Amino acid sequence: MKEKQTRRLIGELRSSVDEIDKLLASGKADLTVDFSACTFISVEGLEWLEEMLMRAASLQANVSFVNMPPPIYKVFKVAHIDSILQASGSPPPASTGAAAC
Amino acid sequence: MVGTIKDQDVALSERVNNLVRRARLAAAVFTQYSQEQVDAIVRAMTIAAIDAAQKLALAAHEETRMGLVEDKMLKNLVASEFHYHQIKDKRTVGIIKEFPEDNMVEVAEPVGVILALAPVTNPTSTVIFKSMAAAKTRNSIIFSPHLMAADSSNMTAKILYEAALAAGAPKDFITWVEKSPRLRRETELMMVHPEVDLIFATGGTQMVKAAYSSGKPAIGVGSGNTPVYVHKTAQIASAAMDIIISKTFDNGTECPSEQTLIIDSAIAEPLLEQFKKLGCYVCNLEEVEKVADVAIDPRKGGMNYKLVGQPADTIAAQAGLKVPKGTKVLLCPLQGNLRSHRLAVEKLMPVLGFVTVDSEQEGINRALDINYAGGTGHTAGIFADDDGVIERFSDAINAGRVIVNCPTSIGGLGGVYNNLNTTLVFGCGTGGGNITTDNVGIKNLINYKRVPKRSNFSLTFQTTKNIYINPGSIDNLRNLKTKSAFIVTSASAGRRGHLSAVLERLPGDCRVDVFSGVGVEPDFSTIQKALQQMRQTQPDTVIALGGGSVLDAAKIIRLFYDYPNLRIQEVALNFLDFRHRLAVFPTKMSTQLVAIPTTSGTGSEVTPFAVFKDHETHRKVSLIDECLLPDVAILDANLTKSLPREVTLDTAFDALTHALESLVSTFASDYTDGLALEAMRLIFEALPEVLKNGSSVLWRHKLHNAACLAGMAIGNASVGINHALAHSLGAHYDIAHGRANSVFLLTTLDYNKRIPSKFMSVSSYPLWVADQKYARAAQFLNLVPAQGASNVAVSSNLLSDEQRQAHIKALERAVYDLAEAVGQPKSIAELGIKQEDFAKALPELVRAAFEDMALRTNPRCPLIKEVESLFVHAYPPRQRP
Ligand SMILES: [Fe+2]
Repeated sequence: MKEKQTRRLIGELRSSVDEIDKLLASGKADLTVDFSACTFISVEGLEWLEEMLMRAASLQANVSFVNMPPPIYKVFKVAHIDSILQASGSPPPASTGAAAC
Repeated sequence: MVGTIKDQDVALSERVNNLVRRARLAAAVFTQYSQEQVDAIVRAMTIAAIDAAQKLALAAHEETRMGLVEDKMLKNLVASEFHYHQIKDKRTVGIIKEFPEDNMVEVAEPVGVILALAPVTNPTSTVIFKSMAAAKTRNSIIFSPHLMAADSSNMTAKILYEAALAAGAPKDFITWVEKSPRLRRETELMMVHPEVDLIFATGGTQMVKAAYSSGKPAIGVGSGNTPVYVHKTAQIASAAMDIIISKTFDNGTECPSEQTLIIDSAIAEPLLEQFKKLGCYVCNLEEVEKVADVAIDPRKGGMNYKLVGQPADTIAAQAGLKVPKGTKVLLCPLQGNLRSHRLAVEKLMPVLGFVTVDSEQEGINRALDINYAGGTGHTAGIFADDDGVIERFSDAINAGRVIVNCPTSIGGLGGVYNNLNTTLVFGCGTGGGNITTDNVGIKNLINYKRVPKRSNFSLTFQTTKNIYINPGSIDNLRNLKTKSAFIVTSASAGRRGHLSAVLERLPGDCRVDVFSGVGVEPDFSTIQKALQQMRQTQPDTVIALGGGSVLDAAKIIRLFYDYPNLRIQEVALNFLDFRHRLAVFPTKMSTQLVAIPTTSGTGSEVTPFAVFKDHETHRKVSLIDECLLPDVAILDANLTKSLPREVTLDTAFDALTHALESLVSTFASDYTDGLALEAMRLIFEALPEVLKNGSSVLWRHKLHNAACLAGMAIGNASVGINHALAHSLGAHYDIAHGRANSVFLLTTLDYNKRIPSKFMSVSSYPLWVADQKYARAAQFLNLVPAQGASNVAVSSNLLSDEQRQAHIKALERAVYDLAEAVGQPKSIAELGIKQEDFAKALPELVRAAFEDMALRTNPRCPLIKEVESLFVHAYPPRQRP
């Protein structure tokens, strides 16, 4: 059983976060990323999140994103990256034949 | 070899995925940007574009060998400076527009990832224009340049992107497809890529078609073929100069530029002279053929693309024409049938057709010939000093831009010669297979989120202004201000002595005319008869003396007397909501209406309703409007003393129905509730007393007041389903209105007290409270013991469910007991209607009831099946609830 660790992102996410990268690399912990204090995500920030999730998957570490303010969660929705949506607990988009009206 | 092609395909698809993914991330990040951030980015892009305007024009010309550097530079400046000027103060983030009167705002949502095509004719200005528009609207944009202009297009994209990035724009929000032999294929793949949200196509018809066929939202433009009508009122010299400016602009590559002139013959000669003087060459018919041979591609019948944007000299040389050096435009007379002339098509080069016409009609028709020959929806022009001609021309021509007294090419761009929105994308509407005729710009790159807040209908309360209520109040007629009165009444008013009572009291100098032809259920022909009689005496006052039918008829008579041009079919049209209804009623009446009710039932003396019967369709027709309200009501209970028992009963039950229905109506208010409750109380108290002693003025007075109070309640809150059922049954079987109401009362109480299977969708009725209202009525009528030790009745909405049900049952019992005590029918069977007959009539009864306006204010939204079961439920004789 891995230990559970939570890290809170504060302010603008514009690049990688070393502390999280190191924690993941240690392979010891499952990680919860708390976005409640995150005010902005840049393209580089998004790219890092995706890449970090990829590393986590190969290390079989669980990463989940919590407490996203709606503007941040909307960035995830529009960016439409499966791994990020999954970590956010967002269901994959429905592919049902919904009726247009 | 096979492997190589496959590898190429994989590489291509990877390139596409990569481009689109980068654009998508940028679009996601862009959603967080504020208006201020966006505006700073657009400003930086504008500065960069202005700085690079000449460099980019040179690059475009060098790469494409089309057009003129000077004009390409001008276009770059229009796309940047003019465009910026136009959009800089526009809101594109958050709330972008407010509609305070409609209680609504508009909020911007970016469209996302835009795939933008750039044409060979405007490779740099289009990119400047579209990237600025994308930045302003927080979209990311991928440019797919024309293969023959890819270097200059992409150079432009890069310059603008770098400026934007330095100003804080998201990485990769502008990207571009690199020049390669597979550029076209790459673009096609992107057009159908699931992560591309919108295609913004400008360019060859094939690309636009491909964009529209992609299944994605697309903004495309159609092709042009601009006719320009030079009317005889035009300023000849300046028209000639404007046309030359326009047709030579970028060597004619602008698609809104003039293609064929239609010249009034009165000014043809001086105009052509002017063209010649200013450096144009007018071809003879033989030369026209030679020009057509080179300017038109014989295989397709369209322009020869090799000559697009070439100077007139070059074209003349290719055609084998000897023209003076520096000739600006080759003017070609199009002789014969214009519709089949080779040159009557779009020619993006300085070749301009012309025809002369002898009338405005011919002028507009020839313009239509050109307009509908490949340029529908695009651009047209007119030179005239006559607003009438301009209007008729604009009316006939199908063009998103009808440019008046300016060059159509630069005029179409907007902002230079006129106040059209600046654009490089000319929407052509359905005429050109597009969704818009706009000068496309930022407003087409936003998803508009409308946020309407609930608008509550502001309730008002209206009633008759002067109401005289004492027994003996008929004496007030003595002071009535009238010189000529028209009395509308029925035959019985004479018999019962009411008419003479009125006549005796009218002022001595008042001329009086009497119409006593209103029967039990008057139809429109009765009203017309009265009007005919009335018009002979020209009265200033209508006095309605009688029961509900007489009062209603008088209201309609007064309306049509004052406004003879109203159409009864329109004013009597059903409506869902009177704020939206079709009929327009007058707001001011000039003839005074005095209502003197002789029954205690409808309350018509204080309602804005009037009902008459359409004998042909067996239906009751209702008119509803404030203007129907009488000005004066005289409630003199002495006039009801002689009312027969049966009529007393029926009308009282009508009033009771009014009170019960207005209480729970979706339009009920505190004002109508008070009236409804007191009306109920008075009826329960006074009716049995009146029946014991019909000539008791005291109880007659109370009953008369009750009917009037209930009338005020329905006058503002309206009635409900009970009336719908009663109107239908009454019209079908000729049953008195109040009597028809009585047989449904227990059925509709039972129906409305239950949680609706379907709620009423009415903004002003936010909560279903019919059950509470009935319980409150029971409390008010003292039908239940007071709750709690303090002996103070608790509010009906604080009752437990059980208590509330008990209260409602008490009310139902009270209604039953009253009817039972006075001998009023409580079921359809008691009316003597045979079961078989009823079963046969049922579908028609349901149909008529379901059409009734009274349903619209019922607290429960009835389903057709429910209406049917209500009829069935009301048939058998009843047990006490
Ligand atoms: Fe009624």
